[in-house]
Amino acid sequence: MEKILTKKEFPSWIKNLKSFNVYGPVKKDALWEYERIQDPDKLDLNFKNTVLSPKKIIFPQREVILDFNHKKKGKPEIQEALPEETKNVIFGVRPCDARALTLTDKVFEEEPGDKYYLRRRHQTVTVGLTCSDPPSENCFCTSLGGSPHSTEGLDILMTELNHKYYVHSFTDKGRELMKAASDVFKNPSEKDKKDLKQVHKESEKKIKRQVKELSKITDKLKGMFDSPFWDEESMSCLKCGICTYLCPTCHCFDISDEVLSSSPLKGQRVRTWDTCQFPYFTMHSSGHNPRPDKSSRLRQRILHKFSYFVDNYDDYQCTGCGRCISKCPVDIDIIEVLEKVKDYE
Amino acid sequence: MVEMEQLQKEAKEILKQGKVKFVIGYSKGSQNLTATPVFIKKPEHTSRLIWDPTCVQNLVKFIVDDKQKQSREKKPDERPVGIVVKGCDSRAINVLIQEKFIDRDDVYILGLSCEELGVVDEKKIAQKLEGKKIEKIEFAKKNNLIVSTKDGEKKIPVKDVLADRCLECKAHFPVIYDQLFGEETEREVKEPYKSIKKTESQSPKKRWDFWKEQLEKCIRCYACRSICPMCYCDECVADSINMAVTAETTAEEKAQKIKWIERSPALSENIGYHLIRAIHLAGRCIDCGECERACPVDIPLRLLNKKLEKAAHELFDYDVGFDHKKPSLISSFKDEDPEDFIR
Amino acid sequence: MNENIYLPKLAKIIKIKQEVSGSRPIKTFRTQFLESSDFSHRSGQCAMLSVLGKGEAMISISSSPLEKDYLQFSILKSGRVTTALHEMEEGDIIGIRGPYGNHFPIEKWKGKNILFIGGGIGLAPIWSVLQTARAKKADYGKLALIYGARTSNDWVFKEELQELKNEMDIHLSIDCEEEGCNEFVGFVPQNVADKKPSPKNSISITCGPPIMIKFVIEALQELGFKDEQIYTTVENKMKCGIGKCGRCNIGKHYVCKDGPVYSWAELKTLPQEY
Repeated sequence: MEKILTKKEFPSWIKNLKSFNVYGPVKKDALWEYERIQDPDKLDLNFKNTVLSPKKIIFPQREVILDFNHKKKGKPEIQEALPEETKNVIFGVRPCDARALTLTDKVFEEEPGDKYYLRRRHQTVTVGLTCSDPPSENCFCTSLGGSPHSTEGLDILMTELNHKYYVHSFTDKGRELMKAASDVFKNPSEKDKKDLKQVHKESEKKIKRQVKELSKITDKLKGMFDSPFWDEESMSCLKCGICTYLCPTCHCFDISDEVLSSSPLKGQRVRTWDTCQFPYFTMHSSGHNPRPDKSSRLRQRILHKFSYFVDNYDDYQCTGCGRCISKCPVDIDIIEVLEKVKDYE
Repeated sequence: MVEMEQLQKEAKEILKQGKVKFVIGYSKGSQNLTATPVFIKKPEHTSRLIWDPTCVQNLVKFIVDDKQKQSREKKPDERPVGIVVKGCDSRAINVLIQEKFIDRDDVYILGLSCEELGVVDEKKIAQKLEGKKIEKIEFAKKNNLIVSTKDGEKKIPVKDVLADRCLECKAHFPVIYDQLFGEETEREVKEPYKSIKKTESQSPKKRWDFWKEQLEKCIRCYACRSICPMCYCDECVADSINMAVTAETTAEEKAQKIKWIERSPALSENIGYHLIRAIHLAGRCIDCGECERACPVDIPLRLLNKKLEKAAHELFDYDVGFDHKKPSLISSFKDEDPEDFIR
Repeated sequence: MNENIYLPKLAKIIKIKQEVSGSRPIKTFRTQFLESSDFSHRSGQCAMLSVLGKGEAMISISSSPLEKDYLQFSILKSGRVTTALHEMEEGDIIGIRGPYGNHFPIEKWKGKNILFIGGGIGLAPIWSVLQTARAKKADYGKLALIYGARTSNDWVFKEELQELKNEMDIHLSIDCEEEGCNEFVGFVPQNVADKKPSPKNSISITCGPPIMIKFVIEALQELGFKDEQIYTTVENKMKCGIGKCGRCNIGKHYVCKDGPVYSWAELKTLPQEY
């Protein structure tokens, strides 16, 4: 379904989505984040990249797996804690972040599937927004097979055409969402269709950064596990979790039991994001650590994204959102690292 | 004026003479924006060193890193590390020596005076550009930045975008060094605690609400801890599962390790983490402001540290990092201490 | 997909046996599910054990799949969860989920001699396959075990080993000389070199500390064992057990689902990340 929606009418669409929890980019001080909104005016579609991608709604940083009450003697109680059944819609999803969801899908859908992730994923409609102007200096989606108007992982793609949006839905979920307010949508004219093509074409040209010959890099990485390259590249790494926590494709997590000291037997088993950049991620209880230093951990991040994931799921585990580059406090630049791999002797 | 050529020359000389195993300094960043840390091992590479107001990082953390790395080596390389420091960074070296984490001989200090400037705050630059993306930043004559965007070049005086830490800096030249570049010019700081003025004037309730809102945002990436030269503990209360485990650590010791803070980024845990960190930095933080700069979600962490810095100054007449021969604040005692319990 | 993979099933500890005392104690736990369960494992697989409030730990199943009455785990007290397990008593209830990972391709070994080589707690992961082979003795050639630990106190399954001596060749060792102990003195790889097992029509399975595995493999190669004839099991830190949490990988392999059992022919092609 392809329709036109004026910017003025956009809030009416949202107001019609009464049965949905509506999420979208909201500006707070100098940053944008995806938040649940009540008031459509809070939603800011003229946004630069959010700090965290919408992954945080589908795969929240903290997910309760189960509640337990462990009796000293007798049978403990275990209560499964699946996410609430709701209907969610996320507006303003960047095409790179939507593609990233198709990658985390691969991990969590793989048998045996992950009920928590899949429930949240299936009950969420993703409404994308074409990046007519790249939202970050470090966007490089086109190098990874994506584009500023890619539709992968999206139910709907909106493209800004001056005072209106071109709204295109590709799935039943998407069409249903548009039908919820069918009177606000108009049919597109031939000019609109022409304009859309033009905006899409222009948007690709505006992506300044790129990695060339990725498949060559992937091949080369296979022989670089023991290379001193990783020592050199990781010298300035601080061992923080920014690159991975901000990444829309990183899926690693920890599972731990949370109790209060006042009731040590009653609590919750939770899943929280974890990162290969932290030393204790791989540390055995004996203290032995297969990835003991930052060089092996940078290597893991790069190889996971551009070698292991390619072998396991036939795709790069990166969609070129550029967050890890923009936010690294010491300017470790994944594009530069990859380019250096290519030229490394 | 700091002459970049002189800095490069000195770095080259100490590498040539084998006085240092490598030099940590600044070089041009990958996208020609702010500088990036560089590790130079060969004398012929010293031309990569730069010095301008985009050299924001405090490189002293890499001294900590090297020290920890050497301590795990069977045959540690005990030669000193050459390091480029600004005034604030030099105070971090003093604290590390004072706390006996490093010896004075572990470092060869190439001190740079910020003179009338300091380093820029990227967020302030972004504000000036009203949302336009930066394509290039260049430091030009007369203390101006030339910032390129898609709309062309814009000249911004460095003074207009100096980081708050520089505006409140008590010594904008190194207080410890082997070689000094630039002048030890005095600069009057009218309001050394200006940034905390606003929160100080607020009611406790308002302040609490403010901090709740700020700390709610924390995603516990631990960039603030990772970048802080004073966070050098092998074991940290923030980590619920790790400790400095060796083959000799017993199962009981590991099992009894208290989980002070859960991994969940819940407000209670975030507050626990940040308050513990702030307290552990009392009388130790040298206000390089790196924690705040690194924070991906813009938590104004510097305010917490600044408040404690002010308390140390007012209550104990203690300024951090000026003299490594003096005892540190938390390990010293005075008869006139205002608290009764300590006497 | 109806099952929630993260939910443990409750099981009662029906028997606890102290295998090793001292500062590195090992206990063997036998467990039975409270409700009927479709849990069915193969030799070499692991299970995630839960002590609610403390967490989970991945432990290899040391009982044979032929044993239908209980699941057995032999556990070295090492961290938070295993310490909690060691504090438990018979009748207490734990959680179990799994089984996880691949298994020893024992069906393919019919007619072959099987040499088991273990060090310390490393006997536990191969105990299951040893018991299966022993129960189906007619299917296999000669079975033998080379096993060592620091001291005779540190041997696990001491009584079972004595019994087994009547059925197969058992070569025990201790690291240093001990009064009253007549077994081989030296490390496990030295015992392998000393006993000179023949590679002919044989499979060898080894598990123990990483350094022991490394030298055992060298000793076996010295004796003419081919890489395809050598099997080992690997461990890494695990949380999910199903290749999603991302920490147990060796290169592109997740030990929790692609391992823990590897032939040396496979393992040597993977990066050294374990």
